Amino acid sequence: MRPGSFLYFLGQAWQSLRRNRLLSLATISTVAVSILILGFAVLLTVNAGQFMNKLESDVEIIAYLDNDLDQSRISDIKRDLLALNGVESVNFVSREEGLKKLQENFGGHEYNLKETLGKNPLPHTYEIKATNPHDVPQIAQRVKNIDGVYKVNYGQGMVERLFNVTRWIRIISMIFIVMLAAAAVFLISTTIRLAIFSRRKEIYLMKLIGSTDWFIRWPFFIEGIFLGTVGGLIAIIILSVGYSSLIDRMDALFFIPLVTNPVLLNQIYLGLLACGAVLGVLGTWVSLNRFLDV
Amino acid sequence: MLVQFYNVSKIYPNGVKALDDISLKIDRGEFIFLMGPSGAGKSTLIKMLFREELPTRGQIFLASRSIVRMKRAEVPRLRRNMGIIFQDFKLLENKTVYENVAFAMEVVGSNRKDIRERVPEVIKMVGLKGKENSFPGELSGGEQQRVGIARALANRPLLLIADEPTGNLDINTSQEIMELLFSINRKGTTVIMATHARELVKTAGKRVIMLEKGRIVTDTPSGEVLL
Repeated sequence: MRPGSFLYFLGQAWQSLRRNRLLSLATISTVAVSILILGFAVLLTVNAGQFMNKLESDVEIIAYLDNDLDQSRISDIKRDLLALNGVESVNFVSREEGLKKLQENFGGHEYNLKETLGKNPLPHTYEIKATNPHDVPQIAQRVKNIDGVYKVNYGQGMVERLFNVTRWIRIISMIFIVMLAAAAVFLISTTIRLAIFSRRKEIYLMKLIGSTDWFIRWPFFIEGIFLGTVGGLIAIIILSVGYSSLIDRMDALFFIPLVTNPVLLNQIYLGLLACGAVLGVLGTWVSLNRFLDV
Repeated sequence: MLVQFYNVSKIYPNGVKALDDISLKIDRGEFIFLMGPSGAGKSTLIKMLFREELPTRGQIFLASRSIVRMKRAEVPRLRRNMGIIFQDFKLLENKTVYENVAFAMEVVGSNRKDIRERVPEVIKMVGLKGKENSFPGELSGGEQQRVGIARALANRPLLLIADEPTGNLDINTSQEIMELLFSINRKGTTVIMATHARELVKTAGKRVIMLEKGRIVTDTPSGEVLL
């Protein structure tokens, strides 16, 4: 493309935007609403995802050891645990530390648990984290078989149900987003088709005069990118203002941790903006080709 | 030889046979009337020249290049050799006379200097000097068709194709448009014109090809009297 033609295309696109003000406005609004809904769904999904990850990563296995083990046997068990597939970390909590934690959690300062109990009733324990929380039930089964471990606890029953619920939430939210994206493509390309349809005579004429397809396409593409980007920009401004005010308010109100990582949020916003531009071009491409076939 | 049709047939997907084994040669510089009742295949034949339609069978050559075997990407170049004039003018209502003519040169990528020189030239040639800044809605039918002709001439075509150019005009205006087309032809441009208007054809003394039901029924050379 020659620099002269690019200026010509830019001029043509600008002229058409101004002449078809109402249709341009309709396209921008359609893109803005579509991206807004899509962005809302993405933020919802990201937050739900983070919440579920947190719930899942809290899942750990506690292995209670037999009371009469010597120091070397305790170290052997640690080695055996680390050798298991899928184990990320193993943390030893001695019976003394266990009692201290219990004291902190329940006792407070006015109440001396140690003196009340007389002796320490707790066993030594290992806290085991899995690389993938979903492997916890299987790992727990194998931990139980290690000699010197007399019991394991990982919230049996509850954990399986939690994983089942989070799995379904993830699947449903993915389907939801894909459906919304498809609806956005359809809506935007329909609006753009309307705009192009109003200029079909001009396109037909250009074709008969001997214009190349790309010469006809460029101004429409520039228009599509512009309308898509402006629509996307409006959507993410509304979305980011709304979301940051939500963060400010939610912080004080709920225990649910919202995603506040600015890098991730900026990536989402930029992605949505790109989505707007891409949808603008895609909608133009889909709608235009039909009219170019002369 | 500018245009050659060899055994060209066209059957539309709905089964209508628009052209049936047409063979035809057109020399450079000729003026040809294409006549026949509605549905005889005039429009189909004309659309094949600029490859809006492709034949079902047969070959078509323009300046010895096959239009049928041509790739899609080569079609724009083919069409730049032609100027097309329409019954309904097909002017862009939101552009002035000058812009409508310049449009034809812009969309084939001509540079500005050429456009600034050529557009006033063809506007003068069709007799519309002084109307450059009028919009089509402000012009009479005959003047609008003159804009259409100016636009078709802008890119200096080898071949001027006119599909019922006087179909929407009264008889006097039609005569004026014919005079314009004849004078363009005298300057060397080949003209093919489809028309119903027998009275325009009779007095012209040009070659007349008569179509009926997709076949050529008579091909009367120029200078002979049409019955």
